[in-house]
Amino acid sequence: MITKRPLFYWVKTSSWKLQILLLILIAVGVAARVFPLEMQKRIVNQAIGLGRVNLLFLYCGLYLAAVLLASGIKFIINVIQTYLGQQTLARLRKELYEHILTLPMGFYRRTSSGMVVSSLVTEVVSAGEMVGQAVAVPVNNILTLLAFTGYMFYLNPLLAALSLTIYPLILFAVPMLQRRANIENKKRVDATRNLSSKIGETVSGIHEVHGNGSFHIENKRFGELVESLYRIRVRWNVYRFGIKVLNNLFQNMGPFILFIVGGYLAISGRFDLGALVAFLSAYEKLYDPWKELMDYYQTYQDASVSYRRLMEYFDEQPEFALAPPDRPPYQLAASVQVRDLSFSVSPRVHLLQKVSFDLEPGQSMALIGFSGSGKSTLVHCIGQLYRYTGGSIQIGGHEVQELTKKDMARNVGIVAQTPYIFDGTIRENLLYSCEAIYNPEDGDEPSRLPQLDDMIEVIQQVGLFVDVLRFGLNTVIGREEGEELQEKIIRMRYRFQSEFGEVLGEDIEFFDIKKYMLYSSVSANLTFGTALQEVFAPENLADNEYFLWFLDKAELMEPLLELGRDATLQTMDILGNIEPDALFFEQSPMEPDEFEEYKALPPRLAASDVADLSNADKAMLLRLALRFVAGTHITGEVPPELQEALIRARNQFRDRIQTDHPGAFSFYRMSVYLPVLPILDNILFGKTRTDLPGAQERVAQSLVHLLIEEDLLERIVEIGMDFRVGPKGDRLSGGQRQKLAIARTFLKRPRLLLLDEATSALDNASQKRIQNVLEKQWKGRSTIIAVAHRLDTVKDYDKIAVMKAGRIVEMGAFNELLQRKGVLYELVHGVKADI
Amino acid sequence: MSSSTESKQTSREFKDNLQLLMHLPMLSGLPLEPLKLLAYLCRRQIFRAGQFIFHQEDLDPNAYLILSGRALLMLEDPRELDLVEMGEMTFVGGLSLFCEMKRIYALKALTDVATLTLSREKFQKTLEQYPNIGPRIFEATARTIIRWETHFVREHLSQCSECRNRMQIPPT
Repeated sequence: MITKRPLFYWVKTSSWKLQILLLILIAVGVAARVFPLEMQKRIVNQAIGLGRVNLLFLYCGLYLAAVLLASGIKFIINVIQTYLGQQTLARLRKELYEHILTLPMGFYRRTSSGMVVSSLVTEVVSAGEMVGQAVAVPVNNILTLLAFTGYMFYLNPLLAALSLTIYPLILFAVPMLQRRANIENKKRVDATRNLSSKIGETVSGIHEVHGNGSFHIENKRFGELVESLYRIRVRWNVYRFGIKVLNNLFQNMGPFILFIVGGYLAISGRFDLGALVAFLSAYEKLYDPWKELMDYYQTYQDASVSYRRLMEYFDEQPEFALAPPDRPPYQLAASVQVRDLSFSVSPRVHLLQKVSFDLEPGQSMALIGFSGSGKSTLVHCIGQLYRYTGGSIQIGGHEVQELTKKDMARNVGIVAQTPYIFDGTIRENLLYSCEAIYNPEDGDEPSRLPQLDDMIEVIQQVGLFVDVLRFGLNTVIGREEGEELQEKIIRMRYRFQSEFGEVLGEDIEFFDIKKYMLYSSVSANLTFGTALQEVFAPENLADNEYFLWFLDKAELMEPLLELGRDATLQTMDILGNIEPDALFFEQSPMEPDEFEEYKALPPRLAASDVADLSNADKAMLLRLALRFVAGTHITGEVPPELQEALIRARNQFRDRIQTDHPGAFSFYRMSVYLPVLPILDNILFGKTRTDLPGAQERVAQSLVHLLIEEDLLERIVEIGMDFRVGPKGDRLSGGQRQKLAIARTFLKRPRLLLLDEATSALDNASQKRIQNVLEKQWKGRSTIIAVAHRLDTVKDYDKIAVMKAGRIVEMGAFNELLQRKGVLYELVHGVKADI
Repeated sequence: MSSSTESKQTSREFKDNLQLLMHLPMLSGLPLEPLKLLAYLCRRQIFRAGQFIFHQEDLDPNAYLILSGRALLMLEDPRELDLVEMGEMTFVGGLSLFCEMKRIYALKALTDVATLTLSREKFQKTLEQYPNIGPRIFEATARTIIRWETHFVREHLSQCSECRNRMQIPPT
């Protein structure tokens, strides 16, 4: 198991070829670094000393070549090291993630998701990078040290021995100071925390300070804390500088010994000048590998500690095997036999006790009881989400504990109480359960995945059809969708206006050349069309010189800049001090990703009039103004005078641009498709009002039969299947998420269907619809176990089990139990309809 | 920033929203910054006469402040029963800002009703930004619930003996 592996496992299993190559390169590299020293000696002694120019050129050339070689090799070593490190990091991440996913549910109840995130994202990094360095760094530095000291001894053993005497001092003195500095640093952190909490306390209780006039008391208390922090910080800094100075001193002590002894030897003729120069260079080069070795030791310590902690954290066995190693997954008969089942989380806490029941294939059972009675736990045990602690559950004669996850996924479908929807499209989420069991990597055929018709059928069954239709209608289609579709849409436009124009007139703001359109942007109001050329596209208009010229001429520039300024200032006033969520931009023309850029504007806006701003700033303001939708955005206003001016400018603009840039725009006309607007706006030839709740639904409903007649319904739904649901599915409502979860399980057609309050987030109509599907389409074919949250849904189940405190207290058919006048009878006739 | 530019930059709708929220008991005493954010995140909605603002059993995630018009609080299930008419400045559904819950009654617009609507998602994102305001809001909300209970016990319990037996609210 991955968590049992030591850190060096990863070194051992990294690419051996690369590690050996690394060692060879290091050896060559070290030689290439010592070689220039010998050249230095010869340049001084032979070339300069003897006045031989040709030797000077030769040695200098060799010197240069060695230096270049050494640098080149150093670069390659670093690249290989990085490669090894990153490769290990990626491997570590993937294998750890794979392991973490298999950990039992219980692990996740104890663990925060943030912990798992930081483990996989930040904490593995030091271990991974350590592996890259594990061989190269120590070998390289030790070799370098040996090579340079060896060379020094070769030049003059006495001098070498003398100049190395100070190293033991560094070994002793620096770590001692470092320890002191660390202690002070810890004190500093504590003192800073005290200071912070004192400030926080005073600010929260400021009314008491003012009320009591206790300013001097607070100042005194604060002063004491500041004084103590001040003393600690002084000591801490003195130690830190001490370390620096000491390091520096040692580095410079070497040359001192060298000069005094070496100089004496040279004067007395026992040491030549060239050797002295080379010796000095060698000595200076000792420091770096020494320091790197020290750092390496520290990194190694840190990495192995954090690696061990990380692995201990996830050191737990998966409860079930993922896939059978020696057979294909079972096709289980969907009979369920539960005998004396118990589930305890600790010796004293029993969530289930002595639960027994039998279900034949195709039978259905509803579980009812107050919350905490063990209904969900029972379903979780049957679905292999929990490992039960006693008794037995058999599906089709196989004990659930012994089945693999793959066997379960093939035969059982579970809809959770709070289902989770992953980021991606509706289609991807619908196929999630099916793709999990037909994995092409295991040799399954992808053709077994459901087709579009199947998907449409299930979204109808769960009541998600109109929602998906709406997603489709709100999509902007590209040219590749074809003219045929566009023609059909235009045909629908005429029919819609004649059939629903009046009925739904209040819900829709039709495009009208004489009116200001509150639910369209300022730029759409001005141009009354959509751009056909890129330079006139809405996002480019603020930088388009022709357009700017027109705004000036129509005297719109100033009011629009002011609108942009208002929108900027107000958005910043509200959101400027926080890190806003994307949701916060719904009522502002600013986009979330532009926020940082606009943050810099307010000071400049305060300093000068809008007319005096730089062109770049003006363009930013204009961009917001042109995007401003009066009916939706709240961070500014389009006053009536500006609305009228924009309507007046509309005609001028159309006349002008048709002469100056013919073909730049397609103007709103009943007979023309509007390419940048969504399908819905194209059919309506207008916008749905956003302040009328239910307007979109009313419009979509009325469109359904028009879409059927034009044979477009499935096409639009198919487009809607590509709607992205957002992270955690948060672009969907709670009900939509639950419906989607039911749909993805229905699509898999499991032999055993487990529903854990699967419809609790749905309105009554949707609940009835799904209950109906279960009755008509599932009953008899699949075995169903459903945790019910309402009594009126349980009548038609073959069996009803009433649970209390982890036991089944009553079981039988609905009428049978009523006649028995037991717990169910009380529940039905009691005050509580909801359980 | 001078007050003249301030008044110019702030839209009327936003200022009105801020005024309105400041006077809601649930939000009273909050610092200005989070109130501004809430005022900005609220939406104005119009419900037509006869339209349901929400149905009984709906999982409606919004709280509404009625700005104009009249609405009827009613039961739909097990049978239709009119409860009480609500008018301007009534705040409905505040508890659904805290968690997902089904409506225990329905609210129907009698005339056209304009509301200031705040969704749970936006409310909770505001709490994430300003976690300090959480305790204050919980306190204000708990006080409101205690007031309801007190009222309920005084007004109803003495008259309905059957209710007394079934009472499950904890003594406060």
